[in-house]
Amino acid sequence: MLWQIVVGGIATGCIYAVVGLGFTLVYRTLRMVNFAQGHVFMAGTFLGLLLATRGHLPALPLLVAVALGAFGVGLMLDRWVFRRLYHDHVVFVVGTIGLGIVLQNAVRLFFPEPVPFPKVFGERVVALGSARFQVSYVWVVVLTVLLVALLHVLFTYTRAGRAMRAVAADPEIAGTVGVRVSQAIGQTFGLSFAVAAVAGVLIGPLYFVSFDMGDMVGLKAFCAAVLGGINSIPGTIAGGILLGLLEALAAGYVSSAYKDLVAFALLILMLAVRPSGILGYETPVKV
Amino acid sequence: MRKLWVITVFGLLLVGSVVAQGHAGTPIKLGVVAPLSGPGTSYGLGIKQGAEMAVDEINKAGGVAGRQIQLVVVDDASNPGQSVTAMQRLVSQEAVDLVIGGWGSSQVLANMEVSERAGVPYIIVGATNPKITTTKNKWTFRVIQTDSVQAKEVATVGVQVLGLKRIAVLNDSNDYGVGNRDAFLAAMEELKQKPVELQAYNTADKDFTAQLTRIKAATPDGLAIFGTIPGAPAIMNQARDLGLTARFIGTGGLANENLITLAPKASAGTVLTTLFHEDVDAEGKAWAERYTKLYSGGAQPARPVLAAWEYRTVRFVARPCLEKAETDKAKLRECLASWKGTVFGVPTEVYFDQTGQLVQESVLVEVKDGTFAAYKRK
Repeated sequence: MLWQIVVGGIATGCIYAVVGLGFTLVYRTLRMVNFAQGHVFMAGTFLGLLLATRGHLPALPLLVAVALGAFGVGLMLDRWVFRRLYHDHVVFVVGTIGLGIVLQNAVRLFFPEPVPFPKVFGERVVALGSARFQVSYVWVVVLTVLLVALLHVLFTYTRAGRAMRAVAADPEIAGTVGVRVSQAIGQTFGLSFAVAAVAGVLIGPLYFVSFDMGDMVGLKAFCAAVLGGINSIPGTIAGGILLGLLEALAAGYVSSAYKDLVAFALLILMLAVRPSGILGYETPVKV
Repeated sequence: MRKLWVITVFGLLLVGSVVAQGHAGTPIKLGVVAPLSGPGTSYGLGIKQGAEMAVDEINKAGGVAGRQIQLVVVDDASNPGQSVTAMQRLVSQEAVDLVIGGWGSSQVLANMEVSERAGVPYIIVGATNPKITTTKNKWTFRVIQTDSVQAKEVATVGVQVLGLKRIAVLNDSNDYGVGNRDAFLAAMEELKQKPVELQAYNTADKDFTAQLTRIKAATPDGLAIFGTIPGAPAIMNQARDLGLTARFIGTGGLANENLITLAPKASAGTVLTTLFHEDVDAEGKAWAERYTKLYSGGAQPARPVLAAWEYRTVRFVARPCLEKAETDKAKLRECLASWKGTVFGVPTEVYFDQTGQLVQESVLVEVKDGTFAAYKRK
């Protein structure tokens, strides 16, 4: 039984980690939280649903298509909407909450009730010792590892990635040395949308999808990011997996009805004891 | 000159208000509150269609006492808070004469307070918690059976007919799930059997691995699922994936065609108490055929199980009382309280008891070959 719960917890944790990455990317660059992240995750799932059912795309092309689509949307939204909002933190937060509401209700118009997602990763049930789970769980973990590796390569070895890191560290100086700051910010948004959408496709085959699935996942991914350190990418990944594991263990051994409590209790604890997160760091600002 | 003006305007207003109150013209307003978005959508859609079908037929045949029925449908998004707002809208802004509908025990427990306070008769077609019809409600009636009857029926069938010896229970932690669980446990005690495992889940949960793993460890031969769409089919799918082979049993929350659509293989063999089945009598079958022809071919499939009670209530329960009492709410309530008659799909005559609950026999079905098949007790 422990093994069954652990595997389930790690898979859910990977989803929190990937969606949480979106929060981290935007926060590192702008020092602001994009509260539409959970709803972008949900919109990504429905985009994947449409492409899988109408376009009959198999697993890997589906992921790539959804990632590219979401990246494009992120770029566009930054250009037309966000750019006007991030002069002020409060304005930005409210704006993203509004965006989330728009996304949720747009999807609700077309999909008012829960629908099944095509099993793009296959229907096999895998057995590991006494634990049995759908092959989709394995894919979630494998693809998360792949995604994190890809992001690492992007940030370390590509020009665009280094530009994003430079802007995250200090946009003024980055601009001085020739980095196109607005372009880098736009790409950061695009990237955060893309990872959320990919997480959406990964989780799709596991459960039924509905327009309100973004609420809880978004909140818990935010908790995961804060837990691990919202300005640290490895921190967010660790935070996500840890949160998923703790949640599953609490559901299995303590009480399944209070499962959601775990994420929020951890959030409060972290903010009270160590606000920068497990692997996060405080960047001192000289006054 | 000015005085003349005032008198003319006053006079016109007076005449106008008298004309507006002319009975022969104004329609009778029938309100329906149902979930048209959120998890309860598939149930709410059936309720809406049942109401539309009945109202259309009545209006085409000349209406009630020479007046047409105007249907007002409000969505409560399967949410108790919004359900209260929806009912308030029906009762205050739309000023309906009667409300027939309501789905979800938590939603109905909340919204019935609004109609009770406003003194509007409310007939419930989609909520089974026993707390809804007690001696306290004056204006509220209910046509579907309560959990106490349904859960007891299912317990009896499970133990005595299916011969299950180790039954586990997984219930939603909302009013519906808890009401059913409590009634089921009481019935099990009378049958001298104890459930082998009790687990609960939250309505919005998607992953039931933790609960099902604990249940599997207790090696049950039966699993009673007290929940609604989409939790129930998700539970069935995940249970079969985990290698749990127990037989599923349940009550009215499972009575929805979506159960089979969302869990095509896992739901096979489930035995449940339903709200309507077309094989009970010929009239029911004829209605089901008419209804399916009217409502299939759209974006959503036809849902006779939920439409049936709404249709029957409007047509056979509300209509005769509206003929007698028209829009006098007190008279309407009295008529409903003393109503008795036969409706298709229920083998015996039915009537409302003193708590406003319709007394009737259960209808049992089994999921077989992708549809609900009538299940014989013997």
